[in-house]
Amino acid sequence: MKSSNIIKTIAQKLFPFITLFGIYLILNGHLSPGGGFQGGVVLGTAVILLFLSYGIEATEQKVKMRCLSILEEAIILFFIFLGILGISTGYFFLKNFLPLGRAGQILSAGFMPLLNLVIGIKVAAGIFGIFYILFKYRGEI
Amino acid sequence: MKKYISIPFLIIITIIIITSIGLEYGNPRNMEFVKYYLEQGLNDTGAMNLVAAVYLDYRVYDTLIETVILFMAVAGITFFLQRRK
Amino acid sequence: MNPIHFSILLFFIGLYGVINKNNLIKKIIGLTILNGSTVLFFISIGYRENGIAPILSEELSGELMPVMVNPVPQALMLTAIVIGVSVTALALALIVKIYEKYKTLNIQQLLKE
Repeated sequence: MKSSNIIKTIAQKLFPFITLFGIYLILNGHLSPGGGFQGGVVLGTAVILLFLSYGIEATEQKVKMRCLSILEEAIILFFIFLGILGISTGYFFLKNFLPLGRAGQILSAGFMPLLNLVIGIKVAAGIFGIFYILFKYRGEI
Repeated sequence: MKKYISIPFLIIITIIIITSIGLEYGNPRNMEFVKYYLEQGLNDTGAMNLVAAVYLDYRVYDTLIETVILFMAVAGITFFLQRRK
Repeated sequence: MNPIHFSILLFFIGLYGVINKNNLIKKIIGLTILNGSTVLFFISIGYRENGIAPILSEELSGELMPVMVNPVPQALMLTAIVIGVSVTALALALIVKIYEKYKTLNIQQLLKE
Protein backbone atom coordinates (compact mmCIF):
# COMPACT_ATOMS: atom_id res chain seq x y z
CA MET A 1 0.00 0.00 0.00
CA LYS A 2 1.56 3.26 -1.11
CA SER A 3 0.83 6.62 0.41
CA SER A 4 2.12 9.96 -0.73
CA ASN A 5 4.75 12.09 0.96
CA ILE A 6 2.22 14.71 2.01
CA ILE A 7 0.31 12.26 4.20
CA LYS A 8 3.47 10.87 5.77
CA THR A 9 4.83 14.30 6.69
CA ILE A 10 1.58 15.68 8.08
CA ALA A 11 0.83 12.55 10.12
CA GLN A 12 4.27 12.64 11.67
CA LYS A 13 3.94 16.33 12.53
CA LEU A 14 0.44 16.00 14.01
CA PHE A 15 1.10 12.95 16.18
CA PRO A 16 2.48 14.70 19.33
CA PHE A 17 -0.39 17.21 19.43
CA ILE A 18 -3.08 14.55 19.23
CA THR A 19 -1.34 12.50 21.94
CA LEU A 20 -1.06 15.59 24.16
CA PHE A 21 -4.75 16.34 23.73
CA GLY A 22 -5.66 12.78 24.61
CA ILE A 23 -3.56 12.81 27.79
CA TYR A 24 -5.10 16.19 28.76
CA LEU A 25 -8.61 14.76 28.38
CA ILE A 26 -7.70 11.73 30.52
CA LEU A 27 -6.01 13.61 33.36
CA ASN A 28 -8.63 16.37 33.69
CA GLY A 29 -11.49 13.89 33.72
CA HIS A 30 -12.84 14.91 37.10
CA LEU A 31 -12.73 18.68 36.58
CA SER A 32 -14.13 19.26 33.11
CA PRO A 33 -16.03 17.21 30.51
CA GLY A 34 -13.96 14.26 29.34
CA GLY A 35 -12.66 11.30 31.22
CA GLY A 36 -11.28 7.87 30.58
CA PHE A 37 -13.35 6.74 27.60
CA GLN A 38 -13.11 9.93 25.58
CA GLY A 39 -9.36 10.36 26.07
CA GLY A 40 -8.72 6.68 25.36
CA VAL A 41 -10.45 6.86 21.98
CA VAL A 42 -8.40 9.96 21.03
CA LEU A 43 -5.16 8.17 21.94
CA GLY A 44 -6.17 5.10 19.94
CA THR A 45 -7.00 7.29 16.94
CA ALA A 46 -3.54 8.89 17.03
CA VAL A 47 -1.82 5.51 16.79
CA ILE A 48 -4.17 4.41 13.99
CA LEU A 49 -3.26 7.56 12.05
CA LEU A 50 0.43 6.66 12.14
CA PHE A 51 -0.40 3.09 11.24
CA LEU A 52 -2.46 4.03 8.17
CA SER A 53 0.12 6.39 6.73
CA TYR A 54 3.29 4.34 7.06
CA GLY A 55 2.21 0.83 6.09
CA ILE A 56 2.36 -2.34 8.08
CA GLU A 57 6.05 -3.25 8.01
CA ALA A 58 7.25 -0.05 9.66
CA THR A 59 4.54 -0.26 12.35
CA GLU A 60 5.29 -3.88 13.19
CA GLN A 61 8.81 -2.95 14.18
CA LYS A 62 7.51 -0.40 16.69
CA VAL A 63 4.39 -2.04 18.16
CA LYS A 64 4.51 -5.79 18.60
CA MET A 65 1.40 -7.87 19.17
CA ARG A 66 2.76 -9.63 22.25
CA CYS A 67 3.48 -6.34 24.04
CA LEU A 68 -0.03 -5.08 23.29
CA SER A 69 -1.77 -8.15 24.68
CA ILE A 70 0.40 -8.30 27.80
CA LEU A 71 -0.29 -4.59 28.48
CA GLU A 72 -4.02 -5.10 28.07
CA GLU A 73 -4.20 -8.04 30.44
CA ALA A 74 -1.99 -6.39 33.07
CA ILE A 75 -4.12 -3.24 33.13
CA ILE A 76 -7.30 -5.15 33.96
CA LEU A 77 -5.55 -7.04 36.75
CA PHE A 78 -4.36 -3.68 38.12
CA PHE A 79 -7.96 -2.44 38.21
CA ILE A 80 -9.05 -5.46 40.24
CA PHE A 81 -6.01 -5.02 42.49
CA LEU A 82 -7.14 -1.46 43.27
CA GLY A 83 -10.48 -2.88 44.34
CA ILE A 84 -8.88 -5.42 46.66
CA LEU A 85 -6.82 -2.61 48.22
CA GLY A 86 -10.16 -1.12 49.19
CA ILE A 87 -11.02 -4.27 51.15
CA SER A 88 -7.67 -4.21 52.94
CA THR A 89 -8.37 -0.79 54.47
CA GLY A 90 -11.46 -2.14 56.15
CA TYR A 91 -14.35 -1.07 53.90
CA PHE A 92 -16.02 -2.59 50.87
CA PHE A 93 -14.67 -3.54 47.43
CA LEU A 94 -13.59 -0.53 45.33
CA LYS A 95 -13.82 2.09 48.05
CA ASN A 96 -12.16 5.45 47.55
CA PHE A 97 -9.20 4.91 49.85
CA LEU A 98 -6.93 7.77 48.80
CA PRO A 99 -7.53 11.11 50.57
CA LEU A 100 -9.90 13.61 49.04
CA GLY A 101 -7.98 16.80 48.55
CA ARG A 102 -9.09 20.32 47.91
CA ALA A 103 -11.69 20.58 45.16
CA GLY A 104 -10.28 21.93 41.90
CA GLN A 105 -6.81 20.45 41.85
CA ILE A 106 -5.69 17.55 39.69
CA LEU A 107 -4.57 15.37 42.62
CA SER A 108 -7.96 15.41 44.33
CA ALA A 109 -11.03 13.18 44.51
CA GLY A 110 -9.40 10.01 45.76
CA PHE A 111 -8.42 7.50 43.11
CA MET A 112 -10.35 9.07 40.24
CA PRO A 113 -7.27 10.26 38.24
CA LEU A 114 -5.70 6.80 38.65
CA LEU A 115 -8.85 5.04 37.51
CA ASN A 116 -9.19 7.39 34.55
CA LEU A 117 -5.64 6.52 33.47
CA VAL A 118 -6.38 2.79 33.69
CA ILE A 119 -9.55 3.11 31.63
CA GLY A 120 -7.82 5.35 29.07
CA ILE A 121 -4.96 2.91 28.47
CA LYS A 122 -7.38 -0.01 28.22
CA VAL A 123 -9.67 1.68 25.67
CA ALA A 124 -6.73 2.89 23.53
CA ALA A 125 -5.21 -0.61 23.45
CA GLY A 126 -8.61 -2.12 22.67
CA ILE A 127 -9.39 0.21 19.76
CA PHE A 128 -5.95 -0.20 18.23
CA GLY A 129 -6.01 -3.97 18.78
CA ILE A 130 -9.37 -4.38 16.98
CA PHE A 131 -8.12 -2.40 13.99
CA TYR A 132 -4.77 -4.22 13.85
CA ILE A 133 -6.32 -7.70 13.91
CA LEU A 134 -8.92 -6.82 11.28
CA PHE A 135 -6.15 -5.47 9.06
CA LYS A 136 -3.65 -8.26 9.49
CA TYR A 137 -6.08 -10.98 8.43
CA ARG A 138 -6.48 -9.71 4.88
CA GLY A 139 -2.93 -8.41 4.46
CA GLU A 140 -4.05 -5.46 2.38
CA ILE A 141 -6.60 -2.62 2.39
CA MET B 1 -44.01 -9.90 -0.15
CA LYS B 2 -42.26 -9.16 3.13
CA LYS B 3 -42.08 -5.45 2.48
CA TYR B 4 -45.82 -5.10 1.73
CA ILE B 5 -46.73 -6.28 5.23
CA SER B 6 -43.96 -4.82 7.33
CA ILE B 7 -43.85 -1.20 6.09
CA PRO B 8 -47.51 -0.26 6.88
CA PHE B 9 -47.25 -2.13 10.17
CA LEU B 10 -44.17 -0.17 11.25
CA ILE B 11 -45.71 3.16 10.21
CA ILE B 12 -48.92 2.47 12.17
CA ILE B 13 -46.97 1.50 15.30
CA THR B 14 -44.77 4.62 15.04
CA ILE B 15 -47.79 6.92 14.84
CA ILE B 16 -49.54 5.17 17.74
CA ILE B 17 -46.51 5.39 20.02
CA ILE B 18 -45.60 8.99 19.17
CA THR B 19 -49.09 10.35 19.80
CA SER B 20 -49.70 8.45 23.01
CA ILE B 21 -46.47 8.66 24.96
CA GLY B 22 -46.86 10.44 28.25
CA LEU B 23 -43.39 11.78 28.92
CA GLU B 24 -43.02 15.54 29.05
CA TYR B 25 -39.81 17.11 27.85
CA GLY B 26 -38.28 19.38 30.46
CA ASN B 27 -40.64 18.76 33.35
CA PRO B 28 -38.99 19.47 36.71
CA ARG B 29 -41.05 16.67 38.24
CA ASN B 30 -38.67 14.11 36.67
CA MET B 31 -35.92 15.19 39.03
CA GLU B 32 -37.30 14.37 42.48
CA PHE B 33 -34.83 11.57 43.21
CA VAL B 34 -31.66 13.08 41.75
CA LYS B 35 -31.33 15.91 44.28
CA TYR B 36 -28.99 13.81 46.42
CA TYR B 37 -26.42 13.48 43.61
CA LEU B 38 -26.49 17.19 42.82
CA GLU B 39 -26.17 18.43 46.39
CA GLN B 40 -23.89 15.88 48.04
CA GLY B 41 -21.71 14.89 45.07
CA LEU B 42 -18.96 17.39 45.81
CA ASN B 43 -18.88 16.55 49.54
CA ASP B 44 -18.74 12.78 49.07
CA THR B 45 -16.22 12.53 46.27
CA GLY B 46 -14.45 15.85 45.84
CA ALA B 47 -14.87 15.91 42.06
CA MET B 48 -16.27 18.88 40.16
CA ASN B 49 -17.53 16.79 37.26
CA LEU B 50 -20.76 15.25 38.52
CA VAL B 51 -21.01 12.74 35.65
CA ALA B 52 -17.53 11.42 36.52
CA ALA B 53 -18.57 11.28 40.18
CA VAL B 54 -21.52 9.07 39.24
CA TYR B 55 -19.67 6.60 37.03
CA LEU B 56 -16.45 6.50 39.07
CA ASP B 57 -17.65 6.63 42.65
CA TYR B 58 -21.31 5.73 43.05
CA ARG B 59 -21.41 3.13 40.25
CA VAL B 60 -17.82 2.03 39.77
CA TYR B 61 -18.80 -1.67 39.67
CA ASP B 62 -20.54 -1.20 36.31
CA THR B 63 -17.44 0.49 34.90
CA LEU B 64 -15.29 -2.50 35.94
CA ILE B 65 -17.58 -5.02 34.22
CA GLU B 66 -17.78 -2.87 31.10
CA THR B 67 -13.98 -2.81 30.84
CA VAL B 68 -14.02 -6.60 30.97
CA ILE B 69 -16.61 -6.64 28.14
CA LEU B 70 -14.27 -4.61 25.94
CA PHE B 71 -11.48 -7.06 26.70
CA MET B 72 -13.75 -9.98 25.78
CA ALA B 73 -14.56 -8.36 22.43
CA VAL B 74 -10.86 -8.18 21.53
CA ALA B 75 -10.37 -11.79 22.65
CA GLY B 76 -13.31 -12.92 20.50
CA ILE B 77 -11.98 -11.15 17.42
CA THR B 78 -8.53 -12.68 17.97
CA PHE B 79 -10.14 -16.11 18.15
CA PHE B 80 -12.07 -15.71 14.91
CA LEU B 81 -9.42 -14.08 12.77
CA GLN B 82 -6.24 -16.02 13.33
CA ARG B 83 -4.20 -17.69 10.66
CA ARG B 84 -2.72 -21.07 11.21
CA LYS B 85 0.34 -21.53 9.07
CA MET C 1 -41.11 17.84 17.93
CA ASN C 2 -39.24 16.74 21.02
CA PRO C 3 -36.03 14.77 21.04
CA ILE C 4 -38.12 12.02 22.63
CA HIS C 5 -40.36 11.78 19.55
CA PHE C 6 -37.36 11.91 17.25
CA SER C 7 -35.66 9.06 19.05
CA ILE C 8 -38.75 6.87 18.58
CA LEU C 9 -38.72 7.69 14.86
CA LEU C 10 -35.03 6.75 14.64
CA PHE C 11 -35.75 3.49 16.48
CA PHE C 12 -38.26 2.40 13.88
CA ILE C 13 -36.03 3.47 11.00
CA GLY C 14 -33.30 1.23 12.43
CA LEU C 15 -35.80 -1.60 12.87
CA TYR C 16 -36.86 -1.24 9.23
CA GLY C 17 -33.21 -1.54 8.22
CA VAL C 18 -32.71 -4.76 10.20
CA ILE C 19 -35.90 -6.42 8.92
CA ASN C 20 -36.18 -5.44 5.29
CA LYS C 21 -32.72 -5.22 3.83
CA ASN C 22 -31.11 -8.26 2.26
CA ASN C 23 -27.44 -7.42 2.57
CA LEU C 24 -25.70 -8.32 5.85
CA ILE C 25 -23.72 -5.07 6.09
CA LYS C 26 -26.92 -3.02 5.86
CA LYS C 27 -28.34 -5.00 8.75
CA ILE C 28 -25.32 -4.09 10.86
CA ILE C 29 -25.79 -0.41 9.98
CA GLY C 30 -29.43 -0.69 11.13
CA LEU C 31 -28.22 -2.15 14.43
CA THR C 32 -25.93 0.85 14.93
CA ILE C 33 -28.84 3.23 14.29
CA LEU C 34 -30.88 1.32 16.92
CA ASN C 35 -28.06 1.84 19.43
CA GLY C 36 -27.90 5.56 18.75
CA SER C 37 -31.64 6.03 19.14
CA THR C 38 -31.67 4.32 22.55
CA VAL C 39 -28.85 6.52 23.83
CA LEU C 40 -30.67 9.64 22.61
CA PHE C 41 -33.89 8.58 24.32
CA PHE C 42 -32.29 8.04 27.70
CA ILE C 43 -30.32 11.26 27.66
CA SER C 44 -33.27 13.42 26.63
CA ILE C 45 -35.44 12.10 29.46
CA GLY C 46 -33.29 13.87 32.04
CA TYR C 47 -33.60 17.36 30.59
CA ARG C 48 -34.78 20.26 32.68
CA GLU C 49 -35.98 23.63 31.45
CA ASN C 50 -33.18 26.22 31.21
CA GLY C 51 -30.72 23.78 32.70
CA ILE C 52 -26.97 23.77 32.27
CA ALA C 53 -24.44 20.94 32.15
CA PRO C 54 -23.75 19.21 35.52
CA ILE C 55 -20.20 20.54 35.92
CA LEU C 56 -19.40 22.67 38.95
CA SER C 57 -16.86 25.44 38.58
CA GLU C 58 -15.22 27.96 40.82
CA GLU C 59 -17.37 30.94 39.98
CA LEU C 60 -20.58 28.96 40.45
CA SER C 61 -20.13 27.49 43.89
CA GLY C 62 -20.37 30.79 45.72
CA GLU C 63 -23.90 31.80 44.89
CA LEU C 64 -27.06 29.71 44.71
CA MET C 65 -26.78 26.48 42.73
CA PRO C 66 -28.22 26.93 39.23
CA VAL C 67 -30.58 24.47 37.60
CA MET C 68 -28.68 21.42 36.32
CA VAL C 69 -29.78 18.55 34.11
CA ASN C 70 -29.80 14.95 35.31
CA PRO C 71 -26.28 13.43 35.35
CA VAL C 72 -27.24 9.79 36.00
CA PRO C 73 -28.44 8.71 32.49
CA GLN C 74 -25.38 10.33 30.92
CA ALA C 75 -23.09 8.18 33.06
CA LEU C 76 -25.04 5.00 32.20
CA MET C 77 -25.03 5.70 28.48
CA LEU C 78 -21.22 5.80 28.39
CA THR C 79 -21.29 2.08 29.10
CA ALA C 80 -24.01 1.51 26.50
CA ILE C 81 -21.96 3.15 23.75
CA VAL C 82 -18.95 0.94 24.48
CA ILE C 83 -21.11 -2.19 24.43
CA GLY C 84 -22.51 -1.14 21.04
CA VAL C 85 -19.01 -0.78 19.64
CA SER C 86 -18.07 -4.27 20.93
CA VAL C 87 -21.12 -5.91 19.34
CA THR C 88 -20.47 -4.17 15.99
CA ALA C 89 -16.81 -5.24 15.97
CA LEU C 90 -17.63 -8.92 16.67
CA ALA C 91 -20.39 -8.92 14.03
CA LEU C 92 -18.00 -7.54 11.42
CA ALA C 93 -15.43 -10.24 12.24
CA LEU C 94 -18.11 -12.90 11.70
CA ILE C 95 -19.06 -11.32 8.37
CA VAL C 96 -15.45 -11.62 7.17
CA LYS C 97 -15.49 -15.36 7.88
CA ILE C 98 -18.91 -15.84 6.24
CA TYR C 99 -17.75 -14.14 3.05
CA GLU C 100 -14.63 -16.24 2.91
CA LYS C 101 -16.59 -19.50 3.01
CA TYR C 102 -19.75 -18.79 1.00
CA LYS C 103 -18.60 -15.99 -1.35
CA THR C 104 -21.85 -14.05 -0.97
CA LEU C 105 -23.47 -11.71 1.55
CA ASN C 106 -27.09 -11.97 0.48
CA ILE C 107 -29.25 -13.44 3.20
CA GLN C 108 -31.74 -15.13 0.83
CA GLN C 109 -28.94 -17.06 -0.89
CA LEU C 110 -27.36 -17.88 2.46
CA LEU C 111 -30.60 -19.37 3.77
CA LYS C 112 -30.76 -21.82 0.90
CA GLU C 113 -27.48 -23.48 1.89
